Amino acid sequence: MNTPLVDMGGVEKSFGAARALAGVDFQLMRGTCVGLVGHNGAGKSTLMNVLSGLIRPDAGSLRIDGEDFDRGYDPATAVGHGIRCVFQELSLCPNLTVAENLRISHPSIKGFGWRKTAGKVILESLDQIFPGHGINPDSEVGDLTIARRQMVEIARAFSIVDSQVDLVILDEPTSSLDQNAAAQLVTFIREFVSGSRSVVLISHLLGEILTASDTVVVMRDGVVVAVDDTTNFDRERLVRDMGDVLVDDSGFGTRINTKIVNSDPVVTGPRENGHQLILYPGEIIGFAGLSGHGQTNALVKIFEAAQGARRAISATEPAVFVAGDRQSDGIFPLWSITRNISVSSFARLMNRFSLDFDREDDEAAGWHKKLSIRTADMKNNILSLSGGNQQKALFARALGSDAKIVLMDDPMRGVDVGTKQEVYEILTEEAALGRALIWYTTETDELKHCDRVYVFREGHIVAELSGETLTEANILSSSFEAEDV
Amino acid sequence: MKLTTLGKLCCTVATVALVTGSGAFADTSGKKIALSNNYAGNSWRQAMLTSWEKVTGEAVTAGVVASADAFTTAENQVTEQAAQIQNLILQGYDAIVINAASPEGLNGAVKEACDAGVVVVSFDGIVTEPCAYRIAVDFHAMGKVQVEYLAGRFPDGGNLLEIRGLAGVFVDDEISGGIHEGVSANDKFNIQGSVHGDWAQDVSQKAVAGILPSLPDIAAVVTQGGDGYGAAQAFKAAGRDTPIIVMGNRHDELTWWKEQKDANGYETMSVSIAPGVSTLAFWVAQQVLDGAEVPQDLSVPFLSITQDTLEESLKTTQAGGVANVEYSLDDSKAVIFGN
Amino acid sequence: MSRLLTPAMMRTLLPGLSLAALLAAIFYLQPRTMSYFGLNLLLNLAVPIALATIAQMFILCVNDLDLSLGAFISLTACITATWLNDAPLIGILALAACVAAYAALGALIHLRNLPSIVVTLGMSFVWTGIAVLVLPTPGGSAPGWIRTLMTLKPALVPFPIIAAVVIALTVHFGLMRSAAGVVLRGAGGNPKSVERAGWSMLRVKCTMFALAGFFGVLSGMALVGLTTSADANIALRYTLLSIAGGILGGGEFVGGRVSPIGAVIGAITLALAGSFLSFLRLNPDFQIGAQGVILILVLALRLLINSRGTRA
Repeated sequence: MNTPLVDMGGVEKSFGAARALAGVDFQLMRGTCVGLVGHNGAGKSTLMNVLSGLIRPDAGSLRIDGEDFDRGYDPATAVGHGIRCVFQELSLCPNLTVAENLRISHPSIKGFGWRKTAGKVILESLDQIFPGHGINPDSEVGDLTIARRQMVEIARAFSIVDSQVDLVILDEPTSSLDQNAAAQLVTFIREFVSGSRSVVLISHLLGEILTASDTVVVMRDGVVVAVDDTTNFDRERLVRDMGDVLVDDSGFGTRINTKIVNSDPVVTGPRENGHQLILYPGEIIGFAGLSGHGQTNALVKIFEAAQGARRAISATEPAVFVAGDRQSDGIFPLWSITRNISVSSFARLMNRFSLDFDREDDEAAGWHKKLSIRTADMKNNILSLSGGNQQKALFARALGSDAKIVLMDDPMRGVDVGTKQEVYEILTEEAALGRALIWYTTETDELKHCDRVYVFREGHIVAELSGETLTEANILSSSFEAEDV
Repeated sequence: MKLTTLGKLCCTVATVALVTGSGAFADTSGKKIALSNNYAGNSWRQAMLTSWEKVTGEAVTAGVVASADAFTTAENQVTEQAAQIQNLILQGYDAIVINAASPEGLNGAVKEACDAGVVVVSFDGIVTEPCAYRIAVDFHAMGKVQVEYLAGRFPDGGNLLEIRGLAGVFVDDEISGGIHEGVSANDKFNIQGSVHGDWAQDVSQKAVAGILPSLPDIAAVVTQGGDGYGAAQAFKAAGRDTPIIVMGNRHDELTWWKEQKDANGYETMSVSIAPGVSTLAFWVAQQVLDGAEVPQDLSVPFLSITQDTLEESLKTTQAGGVANVEYSLDDSKAVIFGN
Repeated sequence: MSRLLTPAMMRTLLPGLSLAALLAAIFYLQPRTMSYFGLNLLLNLAVPIALATIAQMFILCVNDLDLSLGAFISLTACITATWLNDAPLIGILALAACVAAYAALGALIHLRNLPSIVVTLGMSFVWTGIAVLVLPTPGGSAPGWIRTLMTLKPALVPFPIIAAVVIALTVHFGLMRSAAGVVLRGAGGNPKSVERAGWSMLRVKCTMFALAGFFGVLSGMALVGLTTSADANIALRYTLLSIAGGILGGGEFVGGRVSPIGAVIGAITLALAGSFLSFLRLNPDFQIGAQGVILILVLALRLLINSRGTRA
């Protein structure tokens, strides 16, 4: 008699080699708010994308209101069954007004006077969720602050024109809202689910999850590891469940005091909230925290400082950057592997007028062997390599340069395990030779190779962990801990 | 009331009679004339603009007209020139002299000008709008005159080689047509061969060199201008006697002719269009403003250089340029009313 | 009052103010233009440019750029001056085929994810080629009714002004105010979100390109109505004029930010800039450069407004 609104069973989804969902069971009853938590890459967003029809799962079943969906489940079907989604990245059209944006997601608003109708509907919704929001429905979205845009986005998902709204998925809805608006949203969610309607709330603010939800679902590595009433959770349990309980913390904090004796720091950041970024030659330090919380930005600032720009952070040695997004930031797709490696060392490889091609080839051959790049000929085009081997070539480019500071922006994304192990060893060697490395990674395991770890949240360093304090639990709790709610 | 009207009418009739009688009556010292030119990118056009400046400058100083400004469009585009003409109307010019980018594309703007009471004179690049005056070049006659000259030189006729211009261009067809007409009128001449020289020395030389071995003795070469020097070089290289080559007023052609003349008394003629035709257009506009009755379609006489005028022409022609002639008011009147 | 000075409001007002300033300068330099007859001559050639700019604006709106527009308008002008005049039915069919070809281009660009710049640059040669086939030498003549329309002398207000207002308002209501227009513009602002909401981007692109083609046809017809004949290169300048006009009128290359009223104003401004400079007796060789300077000035003003907006 009590049919779940959503019933997903054994949902699997892989992206290439990466397994995002490894058989997930997920139920959602009417009139409840489910808090969905998990670390980076736990599969939360992928699962919600399956539910909203944007991603087709490889396997598994999906029932909505008892109705079985097999093939042909797409965004329109999801919307038709009252499922709305507020995505992590903003999905408003910045060139349209608030009211016009409502029209985009609600095709039924049309005909004479549609603009008035749309304005009224979105205003009602905004008033209901965020009283005192101060947003004019005729303002262009691009002219609004980020916080107000997010309010509009949320209000749009909750606004009702003619089709029913049964479930609203909120993926990090409060990331740009101030505390007051976030609290308003939580209050509204409770009100919204008091009837037969439901909400899925994804948030890195554990206090929010604990206040707003009835049930908490914890995901890790593509599976659901815990489902329980919210009342049975506290912050400690959430953090514990999100962490990898099966793998012990041994290995964390084993690299300590590897800095070169009597050396001066090569990177010095400003002191804020009692934390200061410092990097010595010989060290590998890690940047951790949820993705998109300012780590890449910090790396870029260090890189710019190393190039002589005035930044709050100072860097005394030249730096190189290893980009995580190979396709857009890293490789020169038309060049050979050799040329892709040597590009950062041109100045060194010049003889009087041109590149010394023999030396270029020699060095490339050296890297070929050292990193065991899997190719028959280093003269082949870079795209002939697999993703992992392309990444090796990028490492070779960075390590082949004279730069003392190596900045790595999540460089192991989509790299297979074997390759990773090889790269880890090389990084350790390079540090021992006096280089200083900063490594931003979204994979907690990789932090085991670091001396110290800075945890970022909302653009700032919120914790510095090393030695005994460097544990997964500490990383997680610092990543999620916000103001005590 | 009735009387005054009648009186006015009488006056008008009298004026009309006077104008047609004397040819020039009204005062043009307050009139402004503009040149709308579509292109200035070669030596011919540059010479044309220089001539305009020189002759109109003198006319302005002498108080014949108030001003005569030249405007060239930057992109040689119909729409741009049309806009330019409309701007000139708004600037209050009394006459606009046009070298047009297109014979028909400007008709809308030209009609606007006529409707606004502005006199429009087109030359070189002429427009087809009926209300405008046209000073067309009689390319046909330019071809024909060559054969007529040769008929005087060779009463018994002979073999001819024809060097044509750029294939597919209207001017080439016209000149060639004139030559052929001349030949059929003097049936003692035979055109033995015909090549395209593209109005350029190097192209002509190659083309002539290519056809020469297959030709019998050639008495004369008929040309279109810009190709005579190349033809002479080709004959020389082939070790053949130099025929009578009609020249095209280019400086290198005239120089070569002069050398030959001094060395062995070589005789020929040279014919082409003078860039100074712009000044003729100016005087035509002035005459129209003056109230003279000018035919809607005029023909530009081409500029011929003979054995006697060679030295003089060569002296006034710049190296790399074209022999030019600028028109004075009297020259122009001779063109307008003379024939 | 404070609402009047929002960045959005200033952005909207800027093209109009630029035009007013230019017009004032022209009236000062050449009082003769300040008359029915003067305005008519000053503005009539701006009508086809305005239509071309509107066409370009549709393309800009979906984050594409059309480098073939001038060639395309030349082609439609050639068709207008030949087939449409001699055999109206064939002419109408040919022009309809032109619009359909544009829609197909939109589909091609969307489906194969091709850069529009490359596709349209290639197409510009195709259009010119066809135009030369249709009208090998300059000529043809304008169908009487188009000529009559373009040389209409209505009482009180000159025709070009009426035409500009009608064009601007029609497109404004169609694209900026109607419910369907919102989706078309949204597709430029955030295509992903529009697609997620269940709209077909393919249809959006086809529609926008077809609209661009339609206004390109209108532009060619209006141009022939003014010049009375066509040639295969008659409107080549329009490619850059239309882009500049669209940008001058408040449009942007990406993000679906366009303004039909602004585009028409921008086109007129550019056309007037030419007159202004020739009234100044500026050497024509500098005129293109000077037009560029005017464009940069207005864009710099817009940037200033935008940066003030973000600081506020």
